[in-house]
Amino acid sequence: MKRISIDPITRLEGHGKIDIFLNEDGGVANCYFQVPELRGFEKFVQGMPVEEVPRVVSRICGV
Amino acid sequence: MAKLKLGSYWASACGGCDVAILDVHEKILDIDAAADILFWPIALDFKVADVEAMPDGHMDVTLFHGAVRNSENEHLARLLRRKSKVLVAFGSCAHLGGIPSLANLYDKKEIFQYVYHDSPSTVNAEGVEPQPTTRVPEGEITIPRFYDTVMPLDFVVDVDYYVPGCPPTPKQIWNVVTAILAGNLPAKGSVVGASLKTQCDECHLKKNEKKITRIKRIATEQPEHETCYLEQGFLCMGPVTRGGCDTRCQLSGVPCRGCYGPVDGVLDMGAKAISAIASVIEAKQESEIEQIVAQIPDSLRTFNRFAIGASLLRRKTL
Amino acid sequence: MTFEPKIVGILCNWCSYTGADLAGTARVKYPPNVRVIRVMCSGRVDPTFVLKAFADGADGVLVAGCHPGDCHYIEGNYKALRRMRLLHKMLADYGIEPGRFRLEWVSASEGERWGKVVTEITEEVRKLGPAKFRQARKAKAATPAA
Repeated sequence: MKRISIDPITRLEGHGKIDIFLNEDGGVANCYFQVPELRGFEKFVQGMPVEEVPRVVSRICGV
Repeated sequence: MAKLKLGSYWASACGGCDVAILDVHEKILDIDAAADILFWPIALDFKVADVEAMPDGHMDVTLFHGAVRNSENEHLARLLRRKSKVLVAFGSCAHLGGIPSLANLYDKKEIFQYVYHDSPSTVNAEGVEPQPTTRVPEGEITIPRFYDTVMPLDFVVDVDYYVPGCPPTPKQIWNVVTAILAGNLPAKGSVVGASLKTQCDECHLKKNEKKITRIKRIATEQPEHETCYLEQGFLCMGPVTRGGCDTRCQLSGVPCRGCYGPVDGVLDMGAKAISAIASVIEAKQESEIEQIVAQIPDSLRTFNRFAIGASLLRRKTL
Repeated sequence: MTFEPKIVGILCNWCSYTGADLAGTARVKYPPNVRVIRVMCSGRVDPTFVLKAFADGADGVLVAGCHPGDCHYIEGNYKALRRMRLLHKMLADYGIEPGRFRLEWVSASEGERWGKVVTEITEEVRKLGPAKFRQARKAKAATPAA
């Protein structure tokens, strides 16, 4: 089965990749969008003083 | 003159460094005139396969931002090292581990448990967790392996230069770009685009004598904006943080949190922060000292907000 | 085989190092696990030294100085006290058990006390077992090539 990998997805904020599987006539059999990133902000801000959190979570997305 | 070949990549990043680069505004046209950018996922459509197909050392300079926290980040770090003559650790994450390295106080298991199971907004009745490899009817799909420990770039490859900041300021980015275009870079291993001195050297706040008897928090008290924040009792990492950002936080009314990293010769920024702040606490009785120390609401994450990944101990014991 | 803790001791020249010397001349019996580094004052001790000791494989660290009020340089030990209290908090964030790091006051005449302090920290660290930082440091070398 032919496979087209788009890696990375571009012109967006964040990481992503797409795997497209083609069937015999060249049509799309299936397509998978994958998110290859995780940083864990929701875990590591726990217990931080409340006034510090804005300057940390602003780094979730710099865009 | 041949155009310079540039690359810019983000690992475990937020995009802020890319936005900072774009914030040179119309000067981006000067960059475009002098250089071909061959890989820049936020802005251009080149793929990893395009980089893999390049001869080694093909790119003159690659700016690498984001920390190394999974196998894909590491793969790209090694790939871009091979394909670049000069590799720059750009921004706090690549330089020191940055904000993502706050995750070093936990391990993969703890993070996954919260993110995919326990968080109040997670709906995951089957208890599914992402796996590096997943079998689907059509074949196999893969995502990177998540590491327990976040690393700065120089923990996996040799780095030629460091541009500090979260993000580096557009003014400093332009200074670095002009240095690169003019072929005017200092000795390898240097920090560029920043001062040799600390924040205090360029801070406009009035400094008198520091004798702190009480730690204050901006959550509950307003700092006065003419006098040094540390002097007033608000924890400020300015004394141990490299200058070069034009004290943007202090000018915005908040104390410095250290994103430009330490000055030369410092092995552990958190250690220096403790040392500096302890020096200006005015207390001699053990009970007085205990009381003041107890007023500090958080420790490592305040004294070493951006550089845990590069600290001597790097992470909480596994 | 019993675990023998490796403990780094950073002692001030005027009081605690002299006190440790006295323990020697007085033939005080105590475990040999503390490796002593002499500094002029406990106020010289940069928290970096303690962190580096743990990062480089120490199972425990002991900083010793003059009793408050007796510092040869007047205020050095007060600075040490403030620094070490802040350091205790930071070490906890790194997962280092409180028993692994101690700040003690030992005067030049307290040879017996030196022996007692060393015995206490050695036994406490022995109970805690080897510090786990060797593991974290090795990770750099072990990351697999892409």
